[in-house]
This record gives sequence, structure tokens and C-alpha cells, in this order.
Amino acid sequence: MAGPIIRASGLSKTYRISEKQPGLAGTIQHLLRRRHRDVLAVDGISFTIEPGEIVGFLGPNGAGKTTTLKMLTGLIHPSGGELEVAGHEPFRRQARFLRQITLVMGNRQQLIWDLPALDSLRVNAAVYGIEEAEARRRIAELAEMLELGPELQRPLRKLSLGQRMKAELLAALLHRPSVLFLDEPTLGLDVNAQARVRDFLADYNRRTGATVLLTSHYMGDITALCPRVLLIHQGQLFHDGSLADLTQRLAPCRQVRLELSDLQPTEAFACFGVIEAHQGHQVRLLVPRAQLTERVAVLLERFAVVDLEVSDPPIEELIGGLFRQRGEASVTGGVP
Amino acid sequence: MSWAWRVARALLGSQYALMLEYRAEIALWALSGVLPLIMLGVWSGSGAGVAAGLTPQQISHYFLAAFVVRQFTVVWLIHVFEEDALQGRLSPLLLQPLAPLWRYLAAHFSEQATRVPFVLLMLVVVGLAAPGVLWWPSPAELLLGLLAIQAAFLLRFVLQVIVTTLCFWSERAAALDRLLLIPYLFLSGLVAPLDTFPPAVRRLALATPFPWMVDFPARLLAGEPVNVALGFGAIAAWCLLLWPISRVLWRAGLRRYSAMGA
Amino acid sequence: MKRYWRSLRCFWGTSLAAELEYPLNAAIEFVSVLGNLAGSLFVLQLLFAGGPSLGGWSWSGALVVLGLYTLLDGFTTCVLQPNLSRIVSHVQTGTLDYVLLKPIDSQFWLSARTVSPWGLPAVAAGLGLIGWALAQGGPEAAAGLRSLGAVLLPLALLLAALAILYSLWFVLAALSIWFVKVWNATEVLRYTLVAGRYPVSAYPPALRLLFTFVLPVAFLTTVPAEALLGRGSALWAIGSLLVAALCLAGSRLLWRFAQRSYTSASS
Repeated sequence: MAGPIIRASGLSKTYRISEKQPGLAGTIQHLLRRRHRDVLAVDGISFTIEPGEIVGFLGPNGAGKTTTLKMLTGLIHPSGGELEVAGHEPFRRQARFLRQITLVMGNRQQLIWDLPALDSLRVNAAVYGIEEAEARRRIAELAEMLELGPELQRPLRKLSLGQRMKAELLAALLHRPSVLFLDEPTLGLDVNAQARVRDFLADYNRRTGATVLLTSHYMGDITALCPRVLLIHQGQLFHDGSLADLTQRLAPCRQVRLELSDLQPTEAFACFGVIEAHQGHQVRLLVPRAQLTERVAVLLERFAVVDLEVSDPPIEELIGGLFRQRGEASVTGGVP
Repeated sequence: MSWAWRVARALLGSQYALMLEYRAEIALWALSGVLPLIMLGVWSGSGAGVAAGLTPQQISHYFLAAFVVRQFTVVWLIHVFEEDALQGRLSPLLLQPLAPLWRYLAAHFSEQATRVPFVLLMLVVVGLAAPGVLWWPSPAELLLGLLAIQAAFLLRFVLQVIVTTLCFWSERAAALDRLLLIPYLFLSGLVAPLDTFPPAVRRLALATPFPWMVDFPARLLAGEPVNVALGFGAIAAWCLLLWPISRVLWRAGLRRYSAMGA
Repeated sequence: MKRYWRSLRCFWGTSLAAELEYPLNAAIEFVSVLGNLAGSLFVLQLLFAGGPSLGGWSWSGALVVLGLYTLLDGFTTCVLQPNLSRIVSHVQTGTLDYVLLKPIDSQFWLSARTVSPWGLPAVAAGLGLIGWALAQGGPEAAAGLRSLGAVLLPLALLLAALAILYSLWFVLAALSIWFVKVWNATEVLRYTLVAGRYPVSAYPPALRLLFTFVLPVAFLTTVPAEALLGRGSALWAIGSLLVAALCLAGSRLLWRFAQRSYTSASS
């Protein structure tokens, strides 16, 4: 396919929220005269995504990530702007479009709780019109990639959280979608299971050339998988580019950690940058990027340095800092 | 004693606030209790009531009273209990120094209080649709009737506690409760006054706990001649018989529950 | 179309497999159906104690109505209850999103996703009761079934009754898209439809109007029963088919509207 697979321009969504005071009086007032408030959840976002890209969606709770994802899948009708996914207008939810996409939500299941996953998979095969032999072949292939075997024949309720998530992924990919929307696919998984899901997604993307859009709570998912990130903040696109660029943009300083062989007064470091912490032999400084090499050289010359480490502050903290600056409380990536 | 009073007040207060949140659901539950009114329609159109020696007015009073009795003797313990046990909400309740059953009992009383306006509203609608069918019972009848409703409710509650404890052993306890609903439906007087039963069936019905749950309080409210002492005595006797059984089963059930690792 | 057929087979195969893990249910349902039937017959007999007819219906005619009611109740247990009472949990847990993203009609999915075999005893009992009542009523009771056309009419009216019943259930269940708190509205429907146990003419005039025009109980049992007994009138038959078509179209429209409102409001 030529050209971008996802094209959004000026995409926006306004919710109308009716306000109700608690209690009986509030209920009566609500019945008599409703008061509404318009909330702009997504405010004119534009971007394009090429086939085969893996793109991460970042932003705090309520930033508009899930709303955007739902507009892209056609579950929500945009209030404004234009949107095209895989050559279709998502909201019409035509069968041809639905066969090309898939949505996985880490906190919601589509498989039947009391039955083995294999039974649910057969249902999906029928719904998507996949021939039985072909379905069996695909299940075997995906099961191998996901390292699932006899688990598929056990009732879902008897599987571990990680196995269940992998089974969900299998069900979501049975129809070979070319665009994957993943909302918190690693929610609640332990570190090992997270890593396996990540590896699988990277592998799937390499093998099939599918486009992947994902939101995640865990920055590890984003750093490992997404060469490109979209950062949404208060309904607007704050950043579109690589994670490294984002770090640079958010953090003009780098963190320098020193371990000294002797004790020094805190004032001694004041001329090098912002002192983050100073305790005993340990010092942590924030140094502007431009002066980094120069100042590190002076530090090494002036003090008895046992150990030195230069790093970027953790991306979570950077984004958190950004949102605190702009009056946001937290930087979690969850669904509201 | 003052401890019990404080606990009761706190429980009833919080449960009532909770039930107010569910008022839409409760209104619909109240609406789903229209069976006696439907039966009133059928009975008033058939000659069977007169053949059994009942006047049309007696019939309509009886079924309207049965409607009110039914509204305030609904027991849904087994459904919430099953849900609580499945979702693991039961375990924290067991850790508190108060038997969980009291909490459920308070919830039932609060639900009844929440129902009051909806039932009144439905009675007003009935009164408007068929002027003259409503009546005021004498204060004594009203008082005794309300007491009998609460007594009937307690009997139903105790009976359902027994079935509920079976939840500890079987996943199908709720289905069993549905089976118990069948004799309740047909023998309690909810769909036909006991006076119209053939004598043999009537004697059989009176030997079960069911007629005391609807027929007795309904006839009190409707101003029919009733043996008040016998009615309350029968309810008390059934409660005294069933309560120890429910205690034994409840304790055994809890032992099983904790043995399975809660 | 072929895909829908295959999906349906798959849906029902998996849900039957799940249900049959509980064999005790079969026994309980069997006893429950028998108990309810015995109780209903008992009450019907009490009602006939006052005279040879109930609202102008003979004993065997009233039995046909009761049989039809039992049949429809079985259908409700088999298909309507297990599927439609689930819509609200789809809304609450958000899994309705998955349903909407399947390349298959969402109303079809929501209405036919599972099937419960536990209504079959009631269906069988209903059919048995109808057959028995027609046989008991003698040749004139079965007058409706003499020619092919006369067999097709009751069948068509029964289908219309099923369509009306389905639409009522679906509409009430779909309301939970807007009002999650009224999830038990279908229970109200189920308890009110008990009125269909008796011929509609057994009720006082005001209730008769209510059961015909507001809550179409009359079309569920009385009208098909009249056709079975050879008393079907063209007016009622046409009315019944018309009401069925309107109800189906109404449920379809409402679902369209509900989807639009769901998808523009959910977060």
C-alpha cells in the first residue's frame, strides 16, 4: 500500500458531561434543569503513520490517549477533523475495515472465562470467516510464537495472568490484522511476562509488517518497542518523534553522579549546576548539556573522584515534571 | 446492649444510604412484583371467587393486601451472598466481630424502607385506575398486619438462610432456591386465596410454612376473620424449628469454607 | 450469510459445551418445569370452579393458552435470557467494544451469542400441553388444523409472537446502554408477561386494553391460540403480523441509535 496507513488531521473530540450534585436535592434539580459542560478531550491532533511502524502513545491519565485510540478503531465518532485508517473511515465500521484492525485492551477480555481459549478462537474464526484448516494453521503458528501449547485447551480461568494475556493476543491476531491497537497490553504482568509480550510484538511486526500503535503504563514497553512516540498532553500533541528527541527536549540537563573519597561542603558544587542531592560521599548534580564535558573535566580535576556516572533522568520523571509544571498531578499512562 | 444499638443504627444508616443509590433498581424490583395484581384481574373476571363464597370486594382486598405483603417480604439473600462468596468479599466480612448475617438482615430492612414510596405510588395508580378498590384498614388491623408482615419476612429470611448455606457445598444453591419458590408461589395464597382450595389441598398447604408467609398477613390486612394467635404462633414455631438448623449448617459451611482456604 | 450460519453453529456449540458441564441443572430444570406446570394447572382448575368458561374460553382452550405461554417461557430461557441479560455486563466491563469491532452484525452477536438448553423442558412441556389440549377438546377444538393454510396461520402467528417477545426483551436490554442501573428491567418484563398465562378476555376491560396496546401480551398467547382453535380472525392475524414487524423494526432502529450514543459517549 502506498502512503500512510493512518492519517489524522485536526482530530478532536468534545464530550458533553451533565453535572449532578449528590443527594436527593441534586437529583431533583438534575431532572428539572440539566446543566451541561463541554469537555475537550482531544483538541485538534494531526499525525500520519506509515505501514509497518511501531508507535507509542504517551500521556497522563485523561490526556486523551484512550479517546484517540477509540476514534482510530471507530468506537468513537470524532467531533471534528479528518481520519483515515487503512483506507477507511473508521467510524463506519465496515466489515472490510474491521477485518484489517484489531484492538487489545489489557484490562478487558474478549475470551470466554469458563471455556478453553481454543473454543473462543473457533468462534472468532467463524466470525471472521477463516476456513477451519487455515484457522488451525494460524493458531499453531501464533501459539508457537507466543510459547503457548496445552494451555489453550484449559479453561481460561485456570491460566495465569500472563498466559491469559498471550491467549488474548492470539485471539486478537487470528484474522491477521494489518493494524494493531494495543491499550496497555502488559497491564499487571510481571517483568518476565512483559518482556515476552514485548518480544512477541516486535517479532510479529518484523514478520508481518503490521503497523502497531500502543499505549503503556510501563516506559520499558515504549523504550523497547517504539522508535517513535506521540506524547499527548491535555488533548494536544506535545511531541511527535523519537524518544531520544523527547528526552533532549524535556531535559536540557543531564544527571551527573559523583562518588568522592573525602567529604566536601555542598557549596563547593554550586558553580557546576543544580545540586539534586548531597549526602556523605555521594553528590548528584544536574548539568546543562552544552557545558557537560567542560564541567566534568573540571570536576575530575578539582575533587578526588572515585566514581562518576552521567545519565539522562528517567523519562517518567521528565514527563512527570512536564505535567507538574503545567498543572497535572501524575504521569501514568493508564486508561481513565 | 448499647453496643448492639450503636451497631444496629450504624448498619441500618449505611445500608439505607446504599439502597438509596440503588433506587432505580429497587423501583423496578417493586414493579416486578405485580403478580397479585394480575391475579386480581383474572379472579375478578371469573366466577370462581363467588362460587367459593367470596364477594368481589373480598377478592380485591385480599389480592391488594397480598401485593403489599409480597412487596415487603422479598428475600434476596442468596443472590448477594453467592456473589460475595464468589468475588471474595465474604472473607473480610468474616474477620469482623459481627456475624455477616446481621449485615445482610440490615440490608433487607433498608431495602424495604426504600421500597415504601414506590409501593405507595403503585397503590395510588391502582386507586386511580379502579376507583374504590382501596380501603383503610382499622388501626388494629394495620398494626397487626404490619407485624405479621415482618414476622413473615423473618420466616422467609430464616428459610433462605438454610438454602444459602448450601452455597458452601454447591454452585447450584440458587437453582435450589428457585425450586423452593414453586411451592411458595402456589401454596402461599399469592395466586389464589386459600379459601378457594379444595379442603384436602388446603389442609396440606397449612401444614407447610408457606401460607403463613402471604395468606395470614394478607387476610389480617384485608380485614378477614383470622385466628391471630394461631398465625403468629405458627410463624414462631416454624422459626424455632428452622433457626437451629440454619445455625448448624452455617457453622459447618464456614468450617468448609475456611478449610478450602477461603 | 454463510458466515452468519457458521458463526451461529459455533456460538451454540461452545455454549452448549459449557452448560453441559453442570448435569445437575438438567434435573433441577426438569423438576422446576413440572412443578410450575402442575401449579398453573391447579390454579386454572380453581378458576374454572365458578363455571364452565373463563372469559368465554373453554377448559381446553385455556389449556392451549397455558401451553403457548409455557412454550414462550422456554424460548425465553433458551435464547433471550442468557443473551440479552448480558448486554449490561458488556457495558459495565467495556467488552461491548470488542463486540462492536467484530465484522459481524452486533445485534446478531448480542442476541444469538449463547444458547441455554435448560429451556427445552419447558418448550417440550408447552408443545405437549397444546397437543393434549387439542386432542382433549375433540375434533372441533382442532378445527384450526384441517387444511395446510390453517396450519400455516398458527405457525405464522407463533413466529410473530416470538418476534414480539424478542423485540420487547431486546429493547429493554438495550436501554442499559444509557441507564446501566436499570439492568433488571427485563425481569419486570418477565414477571408482567405472566399475564399471558390466561386468555386476555379473562381480564377486566381496562387491563385488556393494556395487554393489547401497551404491553402486547394478547399477541403472544391469545391470538395464536385462537388460530390453533380455528377461531382466528383476519383482523387479529394481520394486526399480530403488523405488530411483530413494527417491534422488530423498532428494536433495530433503537439499536442503531444506542450504538451511536454509546460510541459518542464512552471513554
